[in-house]
Amino acid sequence: MCGTSLTFHHDLRMFWGYAPLVGVAQMSKHPATVGQSRHRTSDGKAAPVSQRRPPVALSPRLILLLIVGVVLLYGVIYPNLHVVLQSLQRDGNWSLQNYREILAQRIVLKAIISSVAISVLTVMFCAGIGIPLAFLFERFTFPARRLFATLAALPLVLPPLVGTVAFIFLCGESGILARVAQSIFHLERAPWSLRGWPALLLFHAYTMYPFFYVLTGAGLSRIDAALAEAGRSLGARRARVLTRIVLPQLTPSLVAAALLTFMTSMASFSAPLLFGGGVRMLTLEIYTARQRGDLTLALTETVILAVISLSALVFFQRYEGTRRFAAAAMKGAAKTRRTIATGSARVVAMAFGVLFSLLLVLPVLTLVVVSFAREGSWTTQTLPPSYTLANYARIFSDSAAREVFLNSLSMSALAAVAALLWSFCVAALIVRKRRRTWHRLLSWLILVPWALPGTVVAVSLAEAYGKPSSLAGSFILVGTFWILPVVYFLRFMPLVVRSVQASMEQVDEALDQAGRSLGARWWQRFFRITLPLVWPGAVAGTLLAFVIALGEYVASVLVFVPSNRPISIAIASELRDFNLGAAAAYGVVLMAIIAVSMMVAGRLERLRS
Amino acid sequence: MRAAKLLLTIACFSALLFSCNRSGSSTNKLLIYTPHGQDMLRDFVAQYKTQHPQVTVEFLDMGSREILERVRAERNRPQADLWWGAAHTTFQTAAEENLLAPYRPTWNANVPESSRDANDNWYGTYQTPEVIVYNSDAVKAEEAPKDWDDVLDPKWRDKVLIRNPNPSDSMRAIFGAMIWRFYKDAGTPDKGYEWLRRLDANVHEYTADGTLLMQKLVRREGLITLWNLPDVWIYKEQKGFPIAYNFPASGTPVITDGIAIVRGAQHEAEAKRFYEFVTTSEALVLAAKKYYRVPVRTDIDRSQLPAWMNEKVNAMPLDWNVLRKQSGEWLRYWDTEIRDHNKQ
Repeated sequence: MCGTSLTFHHDLRMFWGYAPLVGVAQMSKHPATVGQSRHRTSDGKAAPVSQRRPPVALSPRLILLLIVGVVLLYGVIYPNLHVVLQSLQRDGNWSLQNYREILAQRIVLKAIISSVAISVLTVMFCAGIGIPLAFLFERFTFPARRLFATLAALPLVLPPLVGTVAFIFLCGESGILARVAQSIFHLERAPWSLRGWPALLLFHAYTMYPFFYVLTGAGLSRIDAALAEAGRSLGARRARVLTRIVLPQLTPSLVAAALLTFMTSMASFSAPLLFGGGVRMLTLEIYTARQRGDLTLALTETVILAVISLSALVFFQRYEGTRRFAAAAMKGAAKTRRTIATGSARVVAMAFGVLFSLLLVLPVLTLVVVSFAREGSWTTQTLPPSYTLANYARIFSDSAAREVFLNSLSMSALAAVAALLWSFCVAALIVRKRRRTWHRLLSWLILVPWALPGTVVAVSLAEAYGKPSSLAGSFILVGTFWILPVVYFLRFMPLVVRSVQASMEQVDEALDQAGRSLGARWWQRFFRITLPLVWPGAVAGTLLAFVIALGEYVASVLVFVPSNRPISIAIASELRDFNLGAAAAYGVVLMAIIAVSMMVAGRLERLRS
Repeated sequence: MRAAKLLLTIACFSALLFSCNRSGSSTNKLLIYTPHGQDMLRDFVAQYKTQHPQVTVEFLDMGSREILERVRAERNRPQADLWWGAAHTTFQTAAEENLLAPYRPTWNANVPESSRDANDNWYGTYQTPEVIVYNSDAVKAEEAPKDWDDVLDPKWRDKVLIRNPNPSDSMRAIFGAMIWRFYKDAGTPDKGYEWLRRLDANVHEYTADGTLLMQKLVRREGLITLWNLPDVWIYKEQKGFPIAYNFPASGTPVITDGIAIVRGAQHEAEAKRFYEFVTTSEALVLAAKKYYRVPVRTDIDRSQLPAWMNEKVNAMPLDWNVLRKQSGEWLRYWDTEIRDHNKQ
């Protein structure tokens, strides 16, 4: 594992450190969905926005429009409208009664407030960890910097379901850390318990800070060092340079990270379920309402959750729209970055970086330990007293287990590739058309599945396509292999779209125009000019969607069929049968698969012409 | 251009992977939804296939509440043929929502009135008594609680672990029974709430699922819990966990685990055949010995069963219909007004 992990993390870093440079980080700079768009740069000059780009030949454009329209209509609008309409109904009549009743409940209000509060705090904590860490790894050089910089993005690969279990065995009150503290300080009882707000924030900070770390890192490596230098030479102090020059240039990356973190935290479910203690979050209330059989309440709460998430989107994008100069300002400037290679600062930075990266590895190591521990033997000891290979033997001797991996791999690959192709369709339509309202609407619609909890996406799809209807005709998706790839596609395509769209924004239009003037057809220009330039960002987004789809559970469990049983269901099933070790073993194998995919993606990225 | 070729290759590769995946269609198919776990299902399916080799039997393993949600979502186009495993309360809810098809098995006379639906929508297969469980390394047998009210003793303050009752049939039954003890005389749940409030004072944590509950129990985050007997035996015998149990002296709720045909099943005849196959006395004895399921049928040769299954269970008389109808409201009250109130 050691040998692999080295390259794997290297590639992970490639993925995160490199791709967002043109990819994810740039998503923030794309104001297609911004309330108002501004095209002024910091120095007041107009950004190079083409006003008179001749329309692409009608037919391909029309086809694209048709594809995008149909997918959005059937995948997003129709099923979700269903949900909204249901929440607006009471005994067959239209009314706002459901909302009135729910918002009058103290408990629901409390859940809304704590959901938002947790998410805001999560954003702050993640920023507090991720941004300094990114500065550390970008600005200092020390031995094995790349390795540790890569390790810092590790929480991204911790599989859901078993990730939280690993966390409990590490940080829980009977976990390894607590037991170590107990034996050092001779404590009678566990020194802490993993419950409530601190536990939630700890877990959220751990799993979500990479958004900040990765995006800031990419932003830092891209900002114009000449500007900072100019500031210094004009007599500005370090702090002033940081706040007035460096941070403003980073704004797009920071806003993108904040948005991703906020939405992910709003939709966080397993953490509040497992160690939320008495904290009520909206996702948990939805789950409890469903369990009690109160479906209307669950639906209405879902709509509220989605509205909050999407308002955050509008809010953040409004803000980022005011800071749109990074790309223009750095045009032609050398991407130099000063690294600090000597001095005591370097030693401190190195020690801190190494220590922190090792801390981050602990949950992953815990999962590995659990997967090798003999069941029932690990009770009051710090580490398991006896080990076994039985858990791996169980899953590797099982033909169904192989099938499960194959299923997940093929479905996630299908969904990811489909999302990639679809992203190009969308991007071709909306890139550089940011002024038009319908483009904003389009971008907004695309993000809706990302803002909804997975359960809702699955249930709405199952209900919309579970019976013949006027819009779907006799087309029935429920009960077929295809339902899961479709669900994965819908849930995770927003990531790919954002990434591709941002990369396309970055491409200098002059290149395309040059191609045109040389008589190249649109497809020639696409394959020879655009595609090579946006390739790294596209691969990064696709890989992210692929990796997340591999571990998807909440939607899968409601719609999977025997022929497409995914890994997450196998893990949940082992957990239900009390085979914690086997579940952990599945998790470890899943991480190994993700590692391999990262390496393959690294290759793919380098393959661009 | 290379990039484009690569893309194409990936697309082809995924298509290939996918095409290997499709299982051939067969006219004799059977799809079972079940929470009984893969090992048990595979065992029974393999045996069934030796008798009926032409049938493709598939199953989906989910929790019983997830099954209910799925069957509900699929009501317009049912996928499942057979639903094997869920508490009778869940089946009763499904029956009332018209999700089940009636079927009267050949052994219907050998099931107690209380363990079957009057309209044949479901029949009981296994019994699940609830017990008081404790960590036998940390608690001496004579000190362990012997009855429900013993769990409220202040000496267990912060030592009791309870699984979150919302998604768990066992915990719903226990909470329901505790309220019912008072509700049946008083007609209001207030005294039952009081009981749960006193329990809450002793509770160290409400865990999210049964697996974590048992882990935390042997890791001594708490020492006492309330849980069902078959699971306790699985942990004791298969996994060697240091746990022991007491039957509550004043009686305990006994859940009936059932089986039912899904309404609108596409392979109803096959479903009925499998239904009968897994409920013969041989099949029930096998499930008892290997998978710790206590049979419901009264005509089983009880000497073949593990000794613990023949222990006298003092079943608490409960009106399950009242419990089922009220438990949503009771749980909502517990959730908002009682849970974790001792921690603030």
